[in-house]
Formats: sequence, structure tokens, C-alpha cells
Amino acid sequence: MANAVVNQKSVLVDLTKCVGCGSCTVACKLWNNQSFQNPQTNEFENAHGVGVQLDSNTWTTVEHKQVNKDGQEVWRFVKRQCMHCLEPACSSVCFAHAFHQTEQGAVQYDPSVCVGCRYCMIACPFDIPKYEWEKVLPSVMKCQFCSSKLAEGEAPACASVCPTDALMFGNRDEMLAKAHEIIANDSRYLNHVYGEKEVGGTSWLYISDVDFGELGFPTNLPEKSIPDNVHGFTRFTIPIFAVGAAAWTGVSLYAKRRHAVAHEGHHAEDHKSEE
Amino acid sequence: MEKHKNLENKGMSRRRFLSVMAGAGVVGAAATMTGCRPVSDPSGTGWLPNQYQNASAIPAQVKGRVPLDPSNVSLVRNDEKCILCGQCIEACEKVQSVFGYYELPVHDDFICVHCGQCSLWCPTGAISERSDVENVWKAIQDPQTTVIVQTAPATRVGIGEEFGMGAGAWAEGQMVTALRELGFDVVVDTNFSADLTIMEEGSELVERVTAGGVLPQMTSCCPGWVKFVEYYYPELIPNLSSARSPMMMHGSTLKTYNAEKLGIDYKNIVTVAIMPCVAKKFEASRSQFAGLEGGAGKYYNDDTVKDMDYVLSVRELADMIRGKLGDIDFAALPEGQYDQIGSTAGLIFGNTGGVMEAAVRSAYYLITKNAPPTSLYNLEPVRGLEGIKRASVNVPGVGDVKVVVASGLANARQLCEEIKAGKADFHFLEVMACPGGCISGGGQPKTAVPPQDWVREARTASMYSHDTAGVINGSAAGAGQKETAKGSLRLSHENPQIAEIYADFLEKPLSHLAHDLCHTHYEDRSGSLTRKEV
Repeated sequence: MANAVVNQKSVLVDLTKCVGCGSCTVACKLWNNQSFQNPQTNEFENAHGVGVQLDSNTWTTVEHKQVNKDGQEVWRFVKRQCMHCLEPACSSVCFAHAFHQTEQGAVQYDPSVCVGCRYCMIACPFDIPKYEWEKVLPSVMKCQFCSSKLAEGEAPACASVCPTDALMFGNRDEMLAKAHEIIANDSRYLNHVYGEKEVGGTSWLYISDVDFGELGFPTNLPEKSIPDNVHGFTRFTIPIFAVGAAAWTGVSLYAKRRHAVAHEGHHAEDHKSEE
Repeated sequence: MEKHKNLENKGMSRRRFLSVMAGAGVVGAAATMTGCRPVSDPSGTGWLPNQYQNASAIPAQVKGRVPLDPSNVSLVRNDEKCILCGQCIEACEKVQSVFGYYELPVHDDFICVHCGQCSLWCPTGAISERSDVENVWKAIQDPQTTVIVQTAPATRVGIGEEFGMGAGAWAEGQMVTALRELGFDVVVDTNFSADLTIMEEGSELVERVTAGGVLPQMTSCCPGWVKFVEYYYPELIPNLSSARSPMMMHGSTLKTYNAEKLGIDYKNIVTVAIMPCVAKKFEASRSQFAGLEGGAGKYYNDDTVKDMDYVLSVRELADMIRGKLGDIDFAALPEGQYDQIGSTAGLIFGNTGGVMEAAVRSAYYLITKNAPPTSLYNLEPVRGLEGIKRASVNVPGVGDVKVVVASGLANARQLCEEIKAGKADFHFLEVMACPGGCISGGGQPKTAVPPQDWVREARTASMYSHDTAGVINGSAAGAGQKETAKGSLRLSHENPQIAEIYADFLEKPLSHLAHDLCHTHYEDRSGSLTRKEV
């Protein structure tokens, strides 16, 4: 896919600074005009708390997690949303071209061309796209990185409202440098910027003082991007289909011809017996 | 017509039906693929408050909202109503110095002192008290239980505002009538237990001053302030008076002393408190006031009993009244009488400086055995809305007793730092978490949003004018105590029903039984946070 990103933006999430207020989840709902109803149950639900999950109405959540830190039970709050991969798997599998990257690196999804095949949901390594199961003509839904705000030089809604600066917005190279600076100056942090290398890098970066696996992040991801990873065999898709189609056309023509020949012979025999 | 008839007669052939269906399918699929469906803008087009509509280089000064534990016993938040205006976090940080005064990351707690100022500041009503109305209705409807309700001093100058009366309108009698209409069996006055608090806390102060205890003594009536000390200044816990708040003294004595007087099994008593406060909900849930740790539980050796079963804010009471009585003319209700009496010294507990003034009046008597001079009936230096007020009272035999009054926890924090640094030269410190005291507590009606001084002043003036008049409500005997003469009562220690409870039951202030029922202990909560040095 042609990469149109010229000014890659990023949000650096400092998980040690999150106090679990859920402002970001409310900002997301306000800016994107989404209801607080769970689309399946129609029950009112906050987008932050213990065990919250993304759904087609909820593009970001803050999960309250009680984890063990140095032998003590502590609360940590984990914001989830689309990671906006630098090389998005969702985009690479979408034959309708419903995904494209904006100049600022937002992986934007256009529901007006989506056919609802859900390939992106299977492809996403972070389990982000959610389906509108409740609709007659369902689309997939996910965080758009407030692409229109980014285009105006504004931070995404969620990052703009954070009272503790747990969400820091800026250019990706700056945010990466900042992340490494914070880690270098404070021994409490793990020496890992989540999203720096995972699946080829993501726009959203996380730093933490608690193991990412314990906080629910997938930790077995390759450093190679998913489109790169599968290109080795997916590039044969069209040749295989072409060869297959040619082969079956051949078989079909052969079978038809054989049938016609057999039929003619049969007719000839019939004529003979009539005589 | 002819054609139609033909079709009807012949019916549609299977082949034709299938081709029509297949055709429709192809057209539908093509329409979907080419984008013939409702177009939705993929990026947000919604609304955010103005302060966030800036280039990212110009961050908003007021951002976000307070963190609130979903299981907070005092407060709940409806995210659907939240507009992220940031008022709650302003109140929490600037007025109360709670948010922003601990290091991140958090430990295992959403730091909250339950004062509820955020709910008063919230312009959309997103933050409100956790309702106990259903539970109270259930208790009232249960024929087995006797529901005893107490009303805090400041409720009577707040409740009227819920029904269109002016700010600070005096609605004591109407409130009592409404409570009886709702079905509460016994209606008592927290002014009574405020008098009891003065006896216990005043005696404690006299003991500390004369016997050389930890000074300054700090008041312990305000649960928001108490939790603030437990979080941020655990080294000052010895300074806190061990006296329970009036509400909690009332809970334990109602289930013991008054239960016996009324001849009711304590198990069938449900205690309810109407409070101008939401921190009182938290206070009632503290382990120190339930089971064998609690007053009634220890008295009866019963681990299932709570001293205070339910606490309702003034707003919740107004909801109950509207729910049962409909759209009534509240001001026109007849003026009911309490089943127990409290002095007007107890009444002014609802104002910042009021506890101090009431305590000074009675402490003077407790030390000198003489009636306090008239200047102590109008202790101007501790009155008013100023954040920190200092005064000195000359008591014969002791000398100058220096007192300090603070409201708003950010002001209290300054005094805590003073004490910590060893610079405090005062003997007695009164703190109320909410600016202006309980009259502007987190459970009061939202007459002005955010809370404004003209409302606070009106409520305060209403309280003091009734103290000046000194006339008390009723000649109450409904809680099993002796009937009293109707008249003026401006001193806690002169309350005849207080004298009665000591004579019949508690013996004397700070007695062993008083210790169980009227005192408590505190817990060091500093492990829940890392204090930010200020």
C-alpha cells in the first residue's frame, strides 16, 4: 500500500500517571457522538471500570486492573484504543480499501465502502475493530485517532482532556525520545516502550512500571509488521488463483468437448439403428 | 389487468422466481459495494468544551475530571451527563487540596475524602450522592422496624431551598412534619448529639489543657476532614479528638439508651440520618462503627448491628418528600416538633466556627464552673466565611486559650503544616472540610452552581439568628426521655436531656461507657498514597 504518512503523530501513554478518571473515554464519546448504551444489551455502561470492553459504540476504554507489584496489590488503569500501526494489518487485508492512513498516520476507516467481511477483525493483532452486530447493514467500528482534529494540529479528544498528562501527544520521534528519556531517568519504569517495535511499530506508545502482559497487552507479537510477515506467501495468492482458474477452465473445456463428441457418436448410432 | 390475471392464474414459475431473487441479490450486493449506504463521517464531528478546541501546543488549563471509584460509598457519577468541564477537579484540587497532592502512580485506592464538593460544583448533575432512598423506604414499610431519623443542624436551613423557599430559609418545623408524613417513627435532632459531643469533646479538651495532653486538639466531627488527616497527616492523628461525630454518637445512644427507654429491641431499630453531607455516608460505613468494634455492637456483643444504618443527603430527603407527597407547598406545612431537644449551641455546629463557639461556651463552664460571659455568646472572630480565623479567649485559671477555625481543606492543610513544623501556638483547631461549614456541605441543595457565598451567608445568618433567639423546638419526650420546659437554651451543658442521659446511663463525660459509645479511633491511611511534599 502506498504510504501517505508525512507527519507521523503519536500519543505516549504513561501508565504510571493514569488515575482512572475516565475523562478520555467520555471525551471520545462526546467527540464521536456515541451513546453509552451497550449495543448488544442496550444497558447503560461506563467505558471505564473493571472488565470493560471495546464495542462498536466504544472506541476507547480504561480498564481498572488490580495487579501485583512487588508483593503489593495495586491499581493500574489501562487505556485501550486502536494502536494505529505504522503498517496496519487491517488495511492490508481489506479488499474494499476501507482503511487508509492519513498524513498524520491515523489509520482511518471509512464505513461507506466497507462490505462487512470482518477480515480486519481477524487480522488485527490487538483485537480492536468491533462489528455492529445489532445493525441490518453492519460496519466495523474503531478509533479514528480523531483524524480531523489531527489534521488541524489538535490533539485527539482523549489526549486533550487528560488531567494528569498520562496521555502525551506529539510527533512520533519526539514521543519515542521522551519515552526513553522518562525510562532512563526513573528506575521504576520497565525498559520497554510498547509500540516502538511491536508489529513494525504503532502510533500509540506505552510505558509502564508493571509488566505489559499482566496489564492485558499481547506480548508475543513479532517485530516485523503483519503485512510484511505474511507477504512471503500472500504474494502467491493471485498467481495461485490465476493458475487454478486456468486449470479449471481447461478441465471444463475438455469435459464439454468430450461430452459433445460422445453425444454426436450416440446420435450417429441412433440413426444407424433407425435405418 | 389482463396480464395480472394471467400471472395469478398461471402462478410464477420456479425458474422465474429464482432469477428475480438472484437479480435482486446482485443489485443489492453491487449497491453495497459501490457505497450506496448511509455515509457516516469517519472522524468525529461531535462536541467538546471550548477549552479543548485548541492546537495541541496550547494545552487547556482546566482539564478532565476527578477520579471516582465506581464503588465509592458516597458518590456516583453518570458519564452520560459529564461534559468534562473540569469543575470537579478544580474543587478537589484548589478548594480541598486532595487531587494533585499525591504522587503517581496510585497505590490501591482512589484518593477521596467524600466531601462531595465536586457534586456541588458539577453543572450537569453528573456527580451525585449514592442513593440510599430505596433502602430507607424498605425500612419504613417494614412493620417490624422502628425507624428513628435524626436531622443535622444545617439541614433545616437547606431543605426549604429544594421547595422554592429562599436561600437559608428556616424550615425546621416543616421538615419534622414532612418526616412524620413519610412514615419515620421517631424524629430526633442531631443538635442533641451535638450537645453530647460538646460534653465529651469539651471535657477532652479541658483534660488535655490541664493535664498536658497532645495539643492542639483538633475537632473530629467532619468525616471528610478526618479522612484527610488519615491520608495526609497521620502524624497528627493523636491531635484529633477521640470524640465521635454527633451523628455517630447519636447512632450508638439511640440503639442502646433510647431503645431501652422506649422498650424496643435494638434489633428492630433502623437509624437514619439526614445530613447536609455525603461524607457521612462514608463515615457510617467505617468499620469502627459496625459490629463488635461499634458502639451498639460492643454494648450488646452483637456483630451484626451497625450504629448508623442509612445516611441521606438533604437532596435525597427532598426526593423522598416529592416522591411521596408530590408537588406540595412545603413552606405551608404545619411546624412539627422533634422527639428530642438540642440547644442552639448544637445548632450552630452547622456553621464554620460553630463547633468552636459551642465548645468554648461549655468549656468555660467546665473549667470555671461559672456561666460564660456574654461575649462568648457571640464569638464574632470565629464567625463568617473567611478560610482561617484565629481567636483568643481568656479563661480564668487557665489563661488565654487560643483557638483556630478553618473551612475548606486547602486552608486546613496550611494549619496542618503549621502544627507539623511546630509553629502552632494554639490549643484548639476546628476544621470543616466544606467552605463555610456544613451549611454548604456536599449534600445540600444545589441552589447556586458552583456554590456561592451569598447562599452560604444566607444559611449562616439564618442559623445564627436562631441561636441569638435561643428558642428551641419542642418539649420533646418522643425518644423516651423526660419532657422539658419549652424555652431558651444556648448552652450544651444546660440541655436537661443531656443531664438526663449522663444521670441515667453514661455516668459522666469520658466514662467507660461514654468511651465505648461516644468515642472512636482512627486509622492511618497514609499507605494508600505517597504524599506529595508541599
